[in-house]
Amino acid sequence: MIEIVETGPFNTVQDLGRPGYRDIGVSAGGAMDPLAVRIGNILVGNPQDAAAIEIQMFPFKLRFEVPTVFAVTGADGQPLLEGRALLSWCAYRAEAGQILELKQPPKLARAYIVLGGGIDVPVLMGSRSTALRGGFGGNAGRPLMKGDRIEVCALPQPLPLPAGGIAAVAPATALRDAFPVADDGTLLIRAIPAGEHELFADDGEAFWSQVWRISSRSDRTGYRLSGAPIKPVKTVEMRSHGVVPGVVQVPPGGEPIIQMSDANTAGGYPKIAGVIEADLWRLGQARAGSRLRFVRSTHAEARAVEQIVSRYVEDIERTSQMVKRALKAMT
Amino acid sequence: MSTIDFSDPATIAALTEALTAAGVDGLEVSGPVGQLRLVVSKGEGPHIRLTGGIGANQAKAVTVKAPIAGCFCAIHPSVSEETETLPRRVSDKDVVGFIRIGSVLLPVPAGRSGLLARRLAEPGALVGFGDPLFEIEPQP
Amino acid sequence: MIATSKPLVSSHQIVTATKGRARVSFIGGRSFLLEAAGEFDLPAQRFIWALSHVVRDWADVAEVIPGMTNLLAIFTATPEDPEFIVGRLLEAWDSVPSLDLSGKTIEISVHYGGAYATDLAAVCDFSGLSDREVVRLHHDATYRVFALGSAPGFGYLHGLDARIYMPRKTVPSLKMEKGCVTIGGMQTGVAMLTGPNGWNSIGYADLQMFDPTSSTPALMAPGDTVRFVPDRIEL
Repeated sequence: MIEIVETGPFNTVQDLGRPGYRDIGVSAGGAMDPLAVRIGNILVGNPQDAAAIEIQMFPFKLRFEVPTVFAVTGADGQPLLEGRALLSWCAYRAEAGQILELKQPPKLARAYIVLGGGIDVPVLMGSRSTALRGGFGGNAGRPLMKGDRIEVCALPQPLPLPAGGIAAVAPATALRDAFPVADDGTLLIRAIPAGEHELFADDGEAFWSQVWRISSRSDRTGYRLSGAPIKPVKTVEMRSHGVVPGVVQVPPGGEPIIQMSDANTAGGYPKIAGVIEADLWRLGQARAGSRLRFVRSTHAEARAVEQIVSRYVEDIERTSQMVKRALKAMT
Repeated sequence: MSTIDFSDPATIAALTEALTAAGVDGLEVSGPVGQLRLVVSKGEGPHIRLTGGIGANQAKAVTVKAPIAGCFCAIHPSVSEETETLPRRVSDKDVVGFIRIGSVLLPVPAGRSGLLARRLAEPGALVGFGDPLFEIEPQP
Repeated sequence: MIATSKPLVSSHQIVTATKGRARVSFIGGRSFLLEAAGEFDLPAQRFIWALSHVVRDWADVAEVIPGMTNLLAIFTATPEDPEFIVGRLLEAWDSVPSLDLSGKTIEISVHYGGAYATDLAAVCDFSGLSDREVVRLHHDATYRVFALGSAPGFGYLHGLDARIYMPRKTVPSLKMEKGCVTIGGMQTGVAMLTGPNGWNSIGYADLQMFDPTSSTPALMAPGDTVRFVPDRIEL
């Protein structure tokens, strides 16, 4: 059991989402940085899809009511346990009564608190994620509030945690070569041209070449981009069709919208591109005001990056268990 | 003060024989620049391992040893600009370095409070279990 | 108000429609959108229903989302050769027979007019019809659920009388109430969530159409027949 001691608005319980229900209008939802949730879960000894707390409004404080293994992943800050600075991307054990505090991270947008056993809220349609728009899932279908007390599942037969904890090299460091950033810090986001790309003619090139800024009117549903508007050469009447996170749609104003985790399940605006799935976690960590440029990609490249990410996750899964077992055998 | 030359095979052989005769399972000698570990395993003869050289015995200093084999990192891999400052005061729970195995990092806590005086392994070096990484001088 | 659902007894028409060409485009690495060319009508949608039944059984397909005369197929992994997937989808499209889903019939009681019918006057202006006539045309028609989407349980209903087509608003209502009975272009539907909405409200229905704790969370399914029954007309 944990108790929320302090929170900003819009911090929610999230897991890897509930794909499979878009055909009845239900967004997949789930963590904006699913890679951080997967790695955090591995470190504490959970299945990769256990539910975590997604924090996007800081500061945030919780109290552990019982001894709990936990990790803070995602953002680049230093979590504090009873005021003592800890490493991010590292599993620790908290004692009953101790307080974990997260302050505004220096650069990134979202931190995840992962608990040994995982957050225990009812599973709805295969997931514990909070569906804010639908008002269901997670903690009573709403963001966390001060005073909320939340159950944590029991972890069956956990391997003991090393005395100094066990950590992972964050993907931004470990996979530096696979996730390039421009020299001036502009995020490079790979995307594959989508159905109406040709309709944008020369403006299509402007879409790829210009640097876009993530507008403050951005949230878990979608990111609105600011820049020189792009317009199709003719307006087409689109019939509503299914969409997925990463789709880049261009509404009449000409400034693109990238659909994110809580993406609407249907759309009708012309779509110019679709961000490759392996780059979505980087968008999930991009704050309003940050700059990005789209890089034209291919299915082959998308596959290659996915495989690099899979190998990284598998390595951490296998090696962390090996390390825990080896240390257990030695003590 | 004279020191025993642990790099001399004859010395080690003699020591091993003495240990075996005494029924002792093993011996470990640590110094600021190296470590010697002798393990007598049944039936297979002694296993001898020598890391670095062995210098003068500094009775008061304590070594922080590698808790597992891997790549030694003196600073966190995600930190690029920060440089390590030695000597510095540390408390027992402070993380003084890391062992990296693939993308997994095992933080190495100081284990005791004191003055982190010397680093005994090269950053990036492969270290074995028990290899000395740091020397801590206990302080009152 | 109560929704009654009973088996569809209406006859299954013989469909002689010919299938238009289709095109397939990408959304990211593993999502493929097949769009039927041609009319936005029931014969075209029956082919989409048939295609969704075929494609959802493919071993490498994670999810299919039927839309309005289109289908989004989400595969389990990004394929090595996307053109091969495009070929498979087009081939399946060319070979599927028409499928008339025999769904249930849902009757929805509606309070036409009144405080929630914020756009009834605009629909009258656009159509040149009286409010009484707009309401009559809306509840006289029989609708089919073409697809669900946009909000949990929201059904896109086809069968709106052409005389009361009403374009979506260029500036959406910021807070339209859940339950509003709305017209959006050639479609009608009942708002499932309170929030921004670009469709035009002409009435209100108090009906639970989505329950996340149920094994079948959505009341409507593609192929269902929907009738609006005036419970009250307040003009």
